[in-house]
Amino acid sequence: MTEKNKKRKSIYLKLLLVLFGMFLFLILNYGYEESSTNEFCESCHVHPKATQSWKISAHVYNESGVTVNCVDCHLPPSGMEKFTAKATTGIRDLYGYLFKDSTDFNWEKMSQREFADKHVYQEGCLNCHKNLFPPKLSKKGQDAHLYFDQNKVEIRCINCHLETGHYHEKVEEEIVDYSKSGIIYTEAAKVDSFKNFTEKIPGTSVDFEMIAIPSGKYLFGSSENDEYKKDYETPEVEVSLNQFWIGKAEITWNEYYAFMKETGTEGRTEDQIIKSRLNNVDVISGPTPPYGDPGQGWGKENRPAITMTYYAANKYCEWLSKKTGKKYRLPTEAEWEYAASANSKGVYFFDGNPSDYTSEGFWKSIFGADTNIINSYCIYKENSMNKTHTPNSVKPNQYGLVNMLGNVKEFCSDYYSENIHDIYKNQKDLQNPKGPGSGNEFVIRGGSYLSDAADLRISARDFTNQKTWLRTDPQIPKSLWWYSDCKDVGFRVVCEFQK
Amino acid sequence: MSEKLNRRDFLNISAVAATGIMVGCSVASDKKRTLEEVKFLDQAPDGKVLKAGLIGCGGRGSGAAIDFLSAGPNLKIHALGDVFKDRVEECKLKLKNEKQEIVADENCFIGFDAYEKVINSGVDVIILATPPHFRPMHFEAAVDARKHVFMEKPVAVDPVGARSVIASSKKAEALGLVVGTGTQRRHQRDYVATFKEIYEGKIGEIVTANCYWNQSQLWFRNPQPEWSEMEYMIRDWVNWTWLSGDHIVEQHVHNIDVINWFTEKHPIKAVGFGSRQRRVTGDQFDNFSVDFEYENGMHVHSMCRQINGCTDNVSELVFGSQGYTNCRNKIFDLKGNILWEYQYPQIEGVEKNESVKVSPYVQEHIDLVKAIRENKPFVEAENTAISTMCAIMGRMSAYSGKEVTWDEVMNSDLKLGTDVYELGKVNIEKIIHVPGLA
Repeated sequence: MTEKNKKRKSIYLKLLLVLFGMFLFLILNYGYEESSTNEFCESCHVHPKATQSWKISAHVYNESGVTVNCVDCHLPPSGMEKFTAKATTGIRDLYGYLFKDSTDFNWEKMSQREFADKHVYQEGCLNCHKNLFPPKLSKKGQDAHLYFDQNKVEIRCINCHLETGHYHEKVEEEIVDYSKSGIIYTEAAKVDSFKNFTEKIPGTSVDFEMIAIPSGKYLFGSSENDEYKKDYETPEVEVSLNQFWIGKAEITWNEYYAFMKETGTEGRTEDQIIKSRLNNVDVISGPTPPYGDPGQGWGKENRPAITMTYYAANKYCEWLSKKTGKKYRLPTEAEWEYAASANSKGVYFFDGNPSDYTSEGFWKSIFGADTNIINSYCIYKENSMNKTHTPNSVKPNQYGLVNMLGNVKEFCSDYYSENIHDIYKNQKDLQNPKGPGSGNEFVIRGGSYLSDAADLRISARDFTNQKTWLRTDPQIPKSLWWYSDCKDVGFRVVCEFQK
Repeated sequence: MSEKLNRRDFLNISAVAATGIMVGCSVASDKKRTLEEVKFLDQAPDGKVLKAGLIGCGGRGSGAAIDFLSAGPNLKIHALGDVFKDRVEECKLKLKNEKQEIVADENCFIGFDAYEKVINSGVDVIILATPPHFRPMHFEAAVDARKHVFMEKPVAVDPVGARSVIASSKKAEALGLVVGTGTQRRHQRDYVATFKEIYEGKIGEIVTANCYWNQSQLWFRNPQPEWSEMEYMIRDWVNWTWLSGDHIVEQHVHNIDVINWFTEKHPIKAVGFGSRQRRVTGDQFDNFSVDFEYENGMHVHSMCRQINGCTDNVSELVFGSQGYTNCRNKIFDLKGNILWEYQYPQIEGVEKNESVKVSPYVQEHIDLVKAIRENKPFVEAENTAISTMCAIMGRMSAYSGKEVTWDEVMNSDLKLGTDVYELGKVNIEKIIHVPGLA
């Protein structure tokens, strides 16, 4: 072969390669474009709800006639991230399409913010919504967007605008008086001896069970045998407690709404409350109307009340005391644990260990765990479908208390301290301990519908995180009454036995 | 433009640049640190007639209107608005005498709603010069009507107002409007040239600063039998916190703004004190001393006073690791030797002139008109709102005697005064704050 021919051949080869490259690019680009259409997305995402709720959302059904497509929100707007995200979601969706049944999915759970967070890209929102102060923005919107501007790292657009891409019919929130649907009680329960009783809230038809817990001694904290124990739950210390009553279940919406109905105010700042006290207005102030549905659309009535602040929970106790002439308050941490354990010696008040029930770990995450026993006593991550349940859906502990370990976490009256066990250890003859004298956050106890089995242990401790729980509250100042970012904490009341 | 001018006179870190420079200071903190230099002009460029409407026809309002007219060709004052008729009449006369500017009677409006009428009278630019209490409301209305705005500092008297101005400012930016705010030091050629030196590191890292507005008593009015309480308060407005913000906000905001400008950030905490020694009317203090703290632990001291017979001083000092500056025209090394000095234009018969070629009060209008006519919009309102908020933070601390943080003021729902604007009784608490008892 001559030099010339060689050269010519190499030119042809190069040309061919370029042509092939262009062809490949066109094919890939076509595939890329085609696989980015709404129709393509819908072909696998067969759940009708997603498409339907998108069609009635502001992203499609709007004044301007502009349609925002699936990929505009569910993929990063540009760059390499877009390709990698497209590839990974593509593979996951294909797997789901081939091997899973879409009717098994819990769409209600998927539409909650925690899940939406994983599938909506903030850069996508801001890619289109470049002007956060459009002419028609309301006063509230202005304040909220200013706050967002200052706290971009902590807050995402969908914290407030969850319904923009997929709209779900909102239930108009009004304070429905569940509390006056039957006989209206004219007086509170009369209690002359220390036994279980049914409290009645005068002026309403609301009643609830109070369980008598006898005085006694027990070991406060996690035992050496508890393989899931934490430093801040040990060492065990012996505590003795006087007798007290404690609510059979967590405060329900019925009970909480009776309080809201009677005390609800527009005033929301501490200043205003203090001012009204100075003016000798002898009323207990109550919550402002909630922002949206505090029940999360799961239904109210006997489900546990949630999202109220620690402050609000204390105000409820004050109000209840005044209504009934008894002394109601939040339980101390020691009382709570004593009542939850009901003299059982185990990690739970029923048989089994966290390792039997937890879904953490490789094999358990695939095959699941045998959870029949724990299911009958607790509402937790594995059986909650991501929401709270009514108290009658589980069995009580030996004292007759339900949902101590699951459903919602519960406020206690103590300030939180990591070292409380060490502090108690050095004290002799520990009677009715009330926690440290000061602190920033408060103890919460028990697990919730979001908790893993390990966090349902009787001795598991947790604490409030009030700043984070008000993170996305757009009001200035932030609400005194409702947490915007905490929906698995409620409380139950203790009634003191007065001889 | 004159050939005699020093090279530095051509460098202007205009308001556009100032917005870019205020990295840490801006509520949105993701802006890049950039210095955009724009030429100072001695006159605004020509263009089609720009009609301005003045809201608030007192001394400063009339002055601002004259400064606007002095900025360049084809500028008109088209409408006037004030709560009081005599104020409008005086202003009309002043414009006629000093600038041969005739404002038609049908474009003169009286009353609390005069501002709406001025905005809707077919003007291009709105000049806001009422007592600061009304500023957020008027500014919002002007922006909603898509008007360019020149407004006097301070831009608010309370946190609710300052936040409203920040939001309206962002709207104005989105709409491509031009907004100047009467912080004229940012348009004063010697200040701007000094800033450029500091920005480029002449004194190293900034480590602390002082700022002062100490002067004698400002004016006051005594009540008159024919005046309602509202009329009296508005005519005596520099003595009432709900109208002026107190003198730390009303006057001293200038110096606090310079410190924010030079340090490129704002304080996050204030501990202040102050009192009322010899003020005659109203409910304000007449002296404040505030220790401002910054995120990096830096402290800045601010003081202001309105008391006769004491030492006066209106200035700023910014100290760096390698020297310090008076912010206006000189930079010193750490031993006090002059490192750099602003070169003023020479004026015959004046031995050492220290006036810039164009008065900053006119320059700010030249810059405004230039930005409108050259379609290079800038919005100063957010920076001025932040400086206003800093002053409010200092005042709140001095009134209460307690530390007040930036987070607290940014989240405060404090709104001073009344929402009922009519010439009658004013339903507000008239108290003079006592630190420690608030």
